[in-house]
Amino acid sequence: MRYTLTLLAALPALILSAATLAQADDDVITLGASVQQTGQQANTGRYYADAYKLAIDTINAKGGVKVGDKSYKLALKLYDNQSDVNLSVRQYVQLITADKVNYLLGPFASNYALDDSSVAEKYQIPMVQGGGASGQIYARGYKYVFGTLPPAEDYYASTIDMMGKLDPKPANVALISADDSFDVSVAKGTREHLKSAGLNIVVDEKFAENNADFASILSLVKSKTPDVILWSGHETEALNFIRQMKSLDVNPKGFYAFTVGVPTADFRKALGNDANYAFGMTTWLPTDKLPDQWFGNAADFAKVYKEKFGYDPDYHAASAVADVETYAVSLAKAGSLEPPKVRDAIAAIEFDSLYAHIKYGENGQIVLPQVVVQIQNNELMPVYSTDFLNKPQYPVPAWGERK
Amino acid sequence: MRPRFVILLVAVTALLAIVPIVGSPVMVQFGISTLLFAVLAQSWNIIGGFTGYPSFGNSVFYGLGVYGTAIAMAKFSLPFGVGLVCGAILAMLCALLIGLPVLRLRGQYFAIATLGLSVAMAAVFSNIEIAGANIGLILPLTRADGMFYELSLGLLVACVLCVFWISRSRFGMGLIAIREDEHAAASMGVNTTLYKTMALVLSALFTSIAGGIHAYFITFVDPASAFDSTLNVRMVIMTVFGGPGTVLGPVVGAFVLSAVYELLANWISTAAALLFGVVIVVAVIFMPRGIADLAAGIRRQGISYLLQNIRRYRL
Repeated sequence: MRYTLTLLAALPALILSAATLAQADDDVITLGASVQQTGQQANTGRYYADAYKLAIDTINAKGGVKVGDKSYKLALKLYDNQSDVNLSVRQYVQLITADKVNYLLGPFASNYALDDSSVAEKYQIPMVQGGGASGQIYARGYKYVFGTLPPAEDYYASTIDMMGKLDPKPANVALISADDSFDVSVAKGTREHLKSAGLNIVVDEKFAENNADFASILSLVKSKTPDVILWSGHETEALNFIRQMKSLDVNPKGFYAFTVGVPTADFRKALGNDANYAFGMTTWLPTDKLPDQWFGNAADFAKVYKEKFGYDPDYHAASAVADVETYAVSLAKAGSLEPPKVRDAIAAIEFDSLYAHIKYGENGQIVLPQVVVQIQNNELMPVYSTDFLNKPQYPVPAWGERK
Repeated sequence: MRPRFVILLVAVTALLAIVPIVGSPVMVQFGISTLLFAVLAQSWNIIGGFTGYPSFGNSVFYGLGVYGTAIAMAKFSLPFGVGLVCGAILAMLCALLIGLPVLRLRGQYFAIATLGLSVAMAAVFSNIEIAGANIGLILPLTRADGMFYELSLGLLVACVLCVFWISRSRFGMGLIAIREDEHAAASMGVNTTLYKTMALVLSALFTSIAGGIHAYFITFVDPASAFDSTLNVRMVIMTVFGGPGTVLGPVVGAFVLSAVYELLANWISTAAALLFGVVIVVAVIFMPRGIADLAAGIRRQGISYLLQNIRRYRL
């Protein structure tokens, strides 16, 4: 029993030592983040860790940030949350209270951003996060939380907008979505967009996540002969859906579109010629049409990123860079390091970045149209954002009529 | 129990109680999650440690506590306290309903049946509209981490007192008898069905309140986090590490393992999961009956206790 006592007595000491201390230099502004560098979400988490580092290094190389009359360098305090939500919450508290970072950057994924942004709001430290798209993050009336991913509810907004300008104009839509949190939100928002655009929903079906068999949904679709299929789910399911569309010879009169998959090279590789004509969407393409104060443009950024880390950036990385740049721009505007003033500056700024034109909405979430893309002759083509960028191949030919 | 020991326990509790006043916010955060883990381990101890039924359904009770509180607060704007009661009632009813059929199973069959429950429950809650379906529920934000800490500590004290009572009562003797030999216990006049169900309901009570406190503290709930079966695994590991079937073992187990996990995660992040696994393996080899038994064993036999464990379990 004496040993149990010793152990019990040692506990406060253990707890004490769990808190580490860090010191801040007075000409350095530290941004803090806890990101998934190991564990289940590490594959996407790495975009955030790498992009934060690259953005901060690049901004420092170009002279840092000028606030008032004084120049500051940016620094990054990064923790690995090991894909554990509860640990990430504790690490954000640690960043604010023990490490005394100036401002916060976000983790990856909506469920993390939901919990971690509550910490930012509790301590009234701004958090700009590019990893969570759920509208729930911004539905809570928080003042200190900003985000650079557009709401899931609006993913199909630009596609539906485009439908109004196509000839012949589609009228009947089949909506098919997975039953996880993100895709349920996509479907919910899409339903509202379709209704206000005056389009009919003739099929509205949900499928279980990680499902591989779409036969029953596809035969229902076939019997209702919709003009358009709007599909929302994950990449592997999208591949299965297209393969089964072909084998069951399901041909919507207009086109079919997916939330994920279409922009990736793997998608085209896996499907070969069957990938052609598929519509999709992305918030970001590495083009030279997106100018950036620090990187030149998005294409230059993609090149530097690939050289440094050995893999191509995607919209996660671009969105993470935009988060860091948001601080650089708004700190200069605020002329002060006081969190409330910086917060007000973030809410008011507007600037061009390699990710997009950055401007935060009333609730803190960016307003950003998805770019509609289509695979044309095995090439990914941007088709539409607020107007046509390239001519879409429309209507899509039936499977039997393709060369 | 010697008076010196009681005084020390009270002193440790008092020390823990003043953490929010003297400690840093990081310690309070760590404290909340550790205290709640200790409650979860201690509750599991009632059904798993004393009664010998390895439940993997305790994460169901946790999830029901989470959702009971969240639905009451987010959908009906009821106060937090009422939410906790709703969650607890929901979980206890569930324990009663599933306990009657499932507690007829023994050993691994019981484990498998309860394991299925948490998966099934997550699927059920992803389709209930009032529970926010798959999108989840949002709770109001409160800047009162001190309150969450003291609530968690209070719950842990209540839970430990309850287990202390069990360990000395006729009821507890009945549970231990069931664990050692259920047929013998029944023939000696122990109402095994009643005892087992009572143990499960008590376990559900404390587990669900811990879930409710965590839900309000973290402000967001969804089916994946509420019915997380890895949580159940951690309850088992912490209890077994500390000493199943003892009064303080699970609490010490939860404290020590939480501290080890936190230190590893913050200092050597990449290898943390690996090292955490090593700690558990070493613990199982050298002290298969937990810290509580280790303490007694070392005092009795010194270091040879560790070696004897290896021989006894033929490793």
